[in-house]
Amino acid sequence: MFIQFFYTLKEVGIPVSPTSFLIFHNAMEKGLVRSVEDFYYTARTVLIKSEKYFDLYDQVFAHIFQGTALPERSEEELDLMAMGMLDEWLKNPKELAASLGIDEDKMNKLSPEELLDYFKERLKEQEGRHDGGSKWIGTGGTSPVGHSGYHPGGMRVGGVSGGKTAIKVAGERRYKDYSIDAPLTRAALGEALKRLRNLVPQGAKDQIDVDGSIYQTMKNGGEIELVFERSVVDRLKVILAIDNGGWSMEPHVEVVQTLFSYALAQFKDLKTYYFHNTIYDLLWEDPARYRKPVPLDTLVRKDPDTRLIIVGDASMAPYELMSTDGSIYAFERSGSPSIERLRFLAKTFPHSVWLNPVGRRSWGYTRTIEVIRTIFPMYELSLDGLEQAVARLMQK
Amino acid sequence: MNAFAGSQNYVLDDELSKIVNISMSLEMPLLLKGEPGTGKTMLAHAVADSLSMDLIVLNVKSNMKLIEALYQYDTLTRLNDSRFGDSARDVSDINEYIRMGKIGQAFVTEKRCVLLIDEIDKAETEFQDDMLDVLDQMEFDILETDERVRAKHRPVIIITSNAKKDLSDPFLGRCNFHHIAFPEPKMMRKIIHAHFEDISDILAKNAIDTFYELRTIEGVEKKPATRELLNWIRALQADPDFKSGKLLAKEIPYLGVLFKKSGDYQRATGTLVKTGFFR
Repeated sequence: MFIQFFYTLKEVGIPVSPTSFLIFHNAMEKGLVRSVEDFYYTARTVLIKSEKYFDLYDQVFAHIFQGTALPERSEEELDLMAMGMLDEWLKNPKELAASLGIDEDKMNKLSPEELLDYFKERLKEQEGRHDGGSKWIGTGGTSPVGHSGYHPGGMRVGGVSGGKTAIKVAGERRYKDYSIDAPLTRAALGEALKRLRNLVPQGAKDQIDVDGSIYQTMKNGGEIELVFERSVVDRLKVILAIDNGGWSMEPHVEVVQTLFSYALAQFKDLKTYYFHNTIYDLLWEDPARYRKPVPLDTLVRKDPDTRLIIVGDASMAPYELMSTDGSIYAFERSGSPSIERLRFLAKTFPHSVWLNPVGRRSWGYTRTIEVIRTIFPMYELSLDGLEQAVARLMQK
Repeated sequence: MNAFAGSQNYVLDDELSKIVNISMSLEMPLLLKGEPGTGKTMLAHAVADSLSMDLIVLNVKSNMKLIEALYQYDTLTRLNDSRFGDSARDVSDINEYIRMGKIGQAFVTEKRCVLLIDEIDKAETEFQDDMLDVLDQMEFDILETDERVRAKHRPVIIITSNAKKDLSDPFLGRCNFHHIAFPEPKMMRKIIHAHFEDISDILAKNAIDTFYELRTIEGVEKKPATRELLNWIRALQADPDFKSGKLLAKEIPYLGVLFKKSGDYQRATGTLVKTGFFR
C-alpha cells in the first residue's frame, strides 16, 4: 500500500529506507492510522528523519493526496545547475564544448563568471522540451547534457533520473547550506564552538594508579594502599594567525575571530596576529597590518606547547612563497623565503594546523596550497575540518 | 494502553501528542530535535507525569562511555571491603558490587518507566550507535558476572538532541523523529497561561510582543527561549512597577534574565539604544 507515495518521497530526494516503510505499515496494522491526519503524522515521524526534509515531505504529501503539482525548478536551482555545468567544464572541457557545438578555444577565453552566465542563458533558452532528439538538453536523447539519456559521461540537468548514467546530478545540491562540508558561517557558530570544546588539555582523571598502588601496598607489607593519579590541569595557550588580506578571505575573517573569542574562556591565552597571503619576518597585532609589527623571531620565546592555528587560503603566486624576496611589501624583504619562515613556525610549534576556507577538492589546483600542505597539516574551514583539526592539535 | 494527552504544566499541540502516542505503540525511541528551550526535556517529564510512570534521566556527557550508562563494577569498594572485612556485603559475591547505570535501572525496574536520554549529541557517534543497539535488543551483558540483563518492561524512550548536524544513519533508522519548532506567539500565550494562571492580559501580551521583538536581534549567540521568557515574566511579576505590564511598552527591565551571555547582553542593550526601542 502507498508504494507510489514511498517512491515519490525517494524520487524527490528524501532518504527513506525500506525498513522504515515496513515500520510504517506495522503502525497501520496496529490501527494507529485512522484519518488522513494520522497518516500524515505517522508517516512523517517514522519515515522522515530530519527537519530539513519536512517541507519537501509536505509538498509530496499534497501532491499524492490532493493532486497539487510538484514545484517547478526556480531561478535559484537554475543557478545551481549552471554551477554544476561549470564544474563539469573544468573537469572535461573538450566533451562539453563538443556537445554544446561551440569552439573550445572560444570558451577558454571566457572567465568563470562569463561562462556561468553563458550556461544560464542556454538553460533558460530551453523553455520548451525536446524529448528524444539530439538537442543538447532534453530527455532520452543522446546528448551528454540533459537527463535520462544514455551518454556515459553525461550530466543530468534536472528532471527525474532514468538510468544511472549521469555522473553529475546538478539539480540536487539544494541542501548545500546544511552540509557539514560547507564553509563555516555565522549560523554554524554554535556547532563550531562545540567542536572547539575538545580543545582542552587531557587530564583531571581520578584514575587509580595501579603500579603506584602495588608499590605502596608492598611497602606496607601487604596492607592495601590505594594511589590515585590526577594530572595537573593547565589550560591551553593558542596563537591564531589570520590572513586578512585580499577579498577572498574577507567573509571568513570575522567568523573565525568571533568563534575564537567566544571560546576565549577555555584558553589560558589567546593571541591573534594578522598577515597577508603568507608569513615573512613580521606578523601584525592590528588588523590593518600597520601599527604593531611583531617580529617572527620573538615567537620562539613562547611556550612550545602553544597551539598554532593559521587561517588562510594559502593561494598566492608561487614566487611569494619560494623566492628570497617574495614579499609584495618591499620593507619585509630580509633574505629568507617565506617557505623557510613557515617551516620555522612549524618547528617552533609542533602542535600546529592550517585551516583553509578553500574546499578540499580545489586544493590540487593551486600550487602553493600543495606546498604549504607539506609543512602544516591542512584542514578545511568547515565543521568537519574543524573537528579533525582539533583532534590533530590535541595529539600528544 | 494509556494515551498521552498533555499535563498540567505542559502545553501540548495535537501534532506532538499524536507523535508521542505513535512512538509508544510502535515501541520505538522518539528522537526530539529543536532549539534549546523549546521544551524537549519537559516533554519527557510531562509524559511520565500524565501516565504516572517513573522517569529515569540519563544526562549524556561528552566523555561518557556506554558501560557507565549500563552498569558499574565498584572495584574500589570491594577492595576496601576485603581489606577491612567489616562491611555487611559478601566480598566473594561480585553481584554485591555491581551497580546499575541509568539504562540498567530502566531495564530492571518493576514498573514500566519513561527513560529520557538528554542531549545525545554531546556524546561520540560510537556511543550513540552502541546505545541504540542495547535499546534495540533490550538487553546487555555484565562482563564480570557473565549475566545477561533483560528489560522487564520496554521503557518509553525519549531522546533529545540540540545539534543542527544530523545524527548517524543507523541511529536515525531506529528512531522516530520529530522536530519541535519554536512556538508561535499564539502558542506561547497558552504556554504562559499554563504556568501563570492569574497573569494580566496586558502583561502577557506586552511581554510576548517584546520577547519576539528581542529574538529578532541579530548576531546573538544564544537567543532567549521559552525558559527565559517564563523566568522573565516571573521577574516582572515580582516587580510592582511592571506587574501591570503597561510600563513594558516604554522600558525593558531585567534584560539579563533573557540574555545570559555577556556578549549577547551588550549586543542587546546596544541594539535597543540604537533602534530607539526605549519609546
